[in-house]
Amino acid sequence: MTLPPSLRPGDTIAIVCPAGYMPRERAQTCIDTLQQWGYAVKIGPTLGGTSENYFSGNDDERLADLQAALDDQDVRAILCGRGGYGLSRIIDRIDFTRFRQSTKWIIGYSDVTVLHSHIEANFNIATLHAPMAAAFADDGAKGPYVQSLRQALVGDKTAYNCPSHPFNRVGQAIAPLTGGNLALLTHLAGSSSAVRTEGKILFLEDVGEYLYNIDRMLRQLKRSGQLDRLAGLLLGSFSELKDTTRPFGATVEEIILDCIKEYGYPVAFGFPVGHDGANVALKTSVLYELKVTTGQTFLSEEDY
Amino acid sequence: MNRKNFLSLLGIGAVESAFATNPVHPPFTARKETPSPILLIPPYLRPGDTIGITCPAGNITLKEIQPAIQQIEGWGFHIKIGDTVGKKDFTFGGTDAERLTDFQQMLDDPAVNAILCARGGYGAVHIVDGLNFSSLLQHPKWIIGFSDITVLLCHIHTNLHITSIHSKMCNSFPDDWSKAEPVQVASILSIRQALTGEKMQYTVPPQQYNRTGSAEGQLVGGNLKTIESLAGTVSDIDTSGKILFVEDTGEYLYSIDRMFWHLQRTGKLDRLAGLIIGGFKVKPDDPGDEFGRTLYDIVTDRVKPYSYPVCFNFPVGHQLENYALKYGVPHTLIVHPDQVSLAEK
Repeated sequence: MTLPPSLRPGDTIAIVCPAGYMPRERAQTCIDTLQQWGYAVKIGPTLGGTSENYFSGNDDERLADLQAALDDQDVRAILCGRGGYGLSRIIDRIDFTRFRQSTKWIIGYSDVTVLHSHIEANFNIATLHAPMAAAFADDGAKGPYVQSLRQALVGDKTAYNCPSHPFNRVGQAIAPLTGGNLALLTHLAGSSSAVRTEGKILFLEDVGEYLYNIDRMLRQLKRSGQLDRLAGLLLGSFSELKDTTRPFGATVEEIILDCIKEYGYPVAFGFPVGHDGANVALKTSVLYELKVTTGQTFLSEEDY
Repeated sequence: MNRKNFLSLLGIGAVESAFATNPVHPPFTARKETPSPILLIPPYLRPGDTIGITCPAGNITLKEIQPAIQQIEGWGFHIKIGDTVGKKDFTFGGTDAERLTDFQQMLDDPAVNAILCARGGYGAVHIVDGLNFSSLLQHPKWIIGFSDITVLLCHIHTNLHITSIHSKMCNSFPDDWSKAEPVQVASILSIRQALTGEKMQYTVPPQQYNRTGSAEGQLVGGNLKTIESLAGTVSDIDTSGKILFVEDTGEYLYSIDRMFWHLQRTGKLDRLAGLIIGGFKVKPDDPGDEFGRTLYDIVTDRVKPYSYPVCFNFPVGHQLENYALKYGVPHTLIVHPDQVSLAEK
């Protein structure tokens, strides 16, 4: 596993939008905050820009902007402005040669799961599953989630705890962390960007899905051998869930537990990761200790 | 497609000869199918044979399947009603155990010659790994359905090489046959034609974005979202050398785009013999999130690197016009500037 270098004051963070469109002003608090933290900010042409459709630019433009940030030796971290949809369309055209020679932090979640997963599966380089530009606005920059990103960037070991949940399964594991958005992880199944979860702590989150589809996606993970040999499972928020006219008849917790009932690894619900505000910075591919006790859940980065 | 056109062409023999003096352009050489395991084609049904009705996914009442029962009995078949008809576990047609048991006994009952899934919905993936297919292998029988039943069609194609029927199910039979739309009637009658061994042949009008050419290969596919949900699992399909058909309903354009990228990134588009795009009921973009591309743009972009024939708006999917297709059976697809034909070899 390769851990990109921590950031030092004066280092440069690039902001690019490899997926959906984001107006520049929506990222202004983020830009200001990163500068207040002592970093230089380089704005890629895909933030704001002239796009008039869903994407922040056409595939070539989004690829070129991300590629430039990956290749730019001055850029020490790449913060994705927002997710949405779009990385699947360019992932196979990204040239990771210089990134692999000179690693840097890639920051984001949701659609950026494609990037995290691809980099983990192919290069085993750590990335940051963390808040993006919009999370800085409305005092978010002072909140614990954006602050956790700041700490991760300077090289602090990340460590989190959250209250226990009635459906948790107690236990302990020390293993590399992997995961992200459930819909994207299933979308990547069978492709060159799919991670192998065996022996790892898997975290999952999703937003706006039908309950039956959550069930179907978990079955896919299970049937593709991605749930049976986990070291542990962390469930973030599953927000804005929808149900069919005829109710599915199980909660998301029940759906998940039913899928993994035959396995013995620790499971924790309610972990602060996802689209529901609570979203701590997590380093993928990095070794973490997970402790699920009757009182609390702890996740802390191990020494390497 | 034009209804009258379709009805008038139903049953007409091979149309290839009509193209003999008008070669398709650009020239397309159909890729030869890679040697595949021996295909098992279940015996076609004769009058007096029995069709079992079961619910591997969503629930349905006995009353709701009466139109199907009456129609199918009118065709001269007996009906065996499975225990899951009328069962209800929220959206499911009974618990996983009940649906598994019912489907299993339909597979194992030598008196059942075909299994008609009552409806789709969601749930086949819950039982597919629990099914024992040894009796089906010994005595192949037609499995009939679409949508969520794509799980079973794909699984059986990949693992057992037994052909099946992709078609409407019990919930699509009209209550009042006399008032039904002609295309709905034709779609349902096509199930009978497929089951009784007629060579299936469909001719539909051309579409602006079609890519001409001809192809031969096994016909596979189904519901696009369901195909994606099988990726990486033992039920996943290998599409190389085959004619792939896909349909879907209720998906956003961005999601359809993502699923076509998924097909491409999992190697399901590059070695096709041909591609058939069925019905796509697109969910409108949310305001401010306009995707800016049509289904045609999405598909055309993805198949640009390849040269096989592609046709749009084929009458398969979540719509009244949804003809029976023999899944896994070799077909010839001819996409001609004047018309499209799909014919069983």
